[in-house]
Amino acid sequence: MKLAKQILAIALVAAVFAAFDIAVYNVVTKRYINPNSASMQAKSVELSKYLPFEENSEIVKLNSSFKLTGDLPVIDGAAALYPVFSAFVNAVYPDGSVIFDGENFTPDSALHYTNTRGAYKAIVDGEADLIFCAKPSEEQLAYANEKGVELELIPIGREAFVFIVNAENPVNSLTEQQVRDIYSGKIRNWSEVGGKNRLINALERNEGSGSQTRMLSFMGGEKIKRNAFAALTGSAIGFSFRYYVEGMVGNSGVKMLSINGVYPDKEHIANGEYPLSSNFYAVCRKDDENENLRGLIGWILSDEGQRIIDESGYVPLE
Amino acid sequence: MKDKIFYGILIAVCVVGAAASAALVIYTFQLYQHASIISYIANGG
Repeated sequence: MKLAKQILAIALVAAVFAAFDIAVYNVVTKRYINPNSASMQAKSVELSKYLPFEENSEIVKLNSSFKLTGDLPVIDGAAALYPVFSAFVNAVYPDGSVIFDGENFTPDSALHYTNTRGAYKAIVDGEADLIFCAKPSEEQLAYANEKGVELELIPIGREAFVFIVNAENPVNSLTEQQVRDIYSGKIRNWSEVGGKNRLINALERNEGSGSQTRMLSFMGGEKIKRNAFAALTGSAIGFSFRYYVEGMVGNSGVKMLSINGVYPDKEHIANGEYPLSSNFYAVCRKDDENENLRGLIGWILSDEGQRIIDESGYVPLE
Repeated sequence: MKDKIFYGILIAVCVVGAAASAALVIYTFQLYQHASIISYIANGG
């Protein structure tokens, strides 16, 4: 009898630990597993897939008559725009101007990638001459002011700010007001917008990222509220830019939502029907007098530059 | 079973269980640090 009780006690303790581990794995761990490598996750984009001057690169290759020589502007930018500015470099920079060590660009490379936050810091600090990003955040503008740098933003194309949910979520469309109400905590359950009876886990990005800056602008000053309980039990909604979701990550487990009944495809961005379309920019220092810089911006706005934007999957200005 | 053996086994189970749980929590935190919104949502988050 005593032996049976002892075995039962040992089994019970083992079962408690096992139940805890299984619960943690299913409720938390499983959601964070990413099929991409740790280095790719840290950078948000697999740099080697979109390298210029590489035969197997997935960028758009265009043989331009416009070529840069001499003082080459150092380029940087956002993850979602990396395939585009890498294609610009491929088209007009001399071969050998980009040095990639297998994981990162070296300091003397004309092409860098440090994402939106790094790129805005780099252009203010003089480490980059031209960056490709969404509009800067208030903090990024304040940093430029503090350093006495005036930034010039030149629109070069259009992109859609999109909201994404799990592919199995029955909700396909939200109004702008519903999205604001979700993020401000007024709508807390998917059943309030036609979905299942599950809490809404409204996800945010890190401060200073292009999409987070766009989200704060979309909220128009209304404060974003997080529901910690929904983070464990809810079904998520997140935001990003269309091309990053559709073209670069291409994860079939998520879907983009229509906003006010309009789906964020190229056609609806180009004709202005998708309500959350916005420009993306080439950003330089206003006092930069490098002739190559102005020449490069002019070329990006020309038919050739706009064709790269179009064929890369983004929406050109016209 | 002698009490000494019983408590020895019980302590061993607790140590192994606690170590496994700690490893899972550390692994989860590392995943969280590099979490992608897109994969999180695709995984049913």
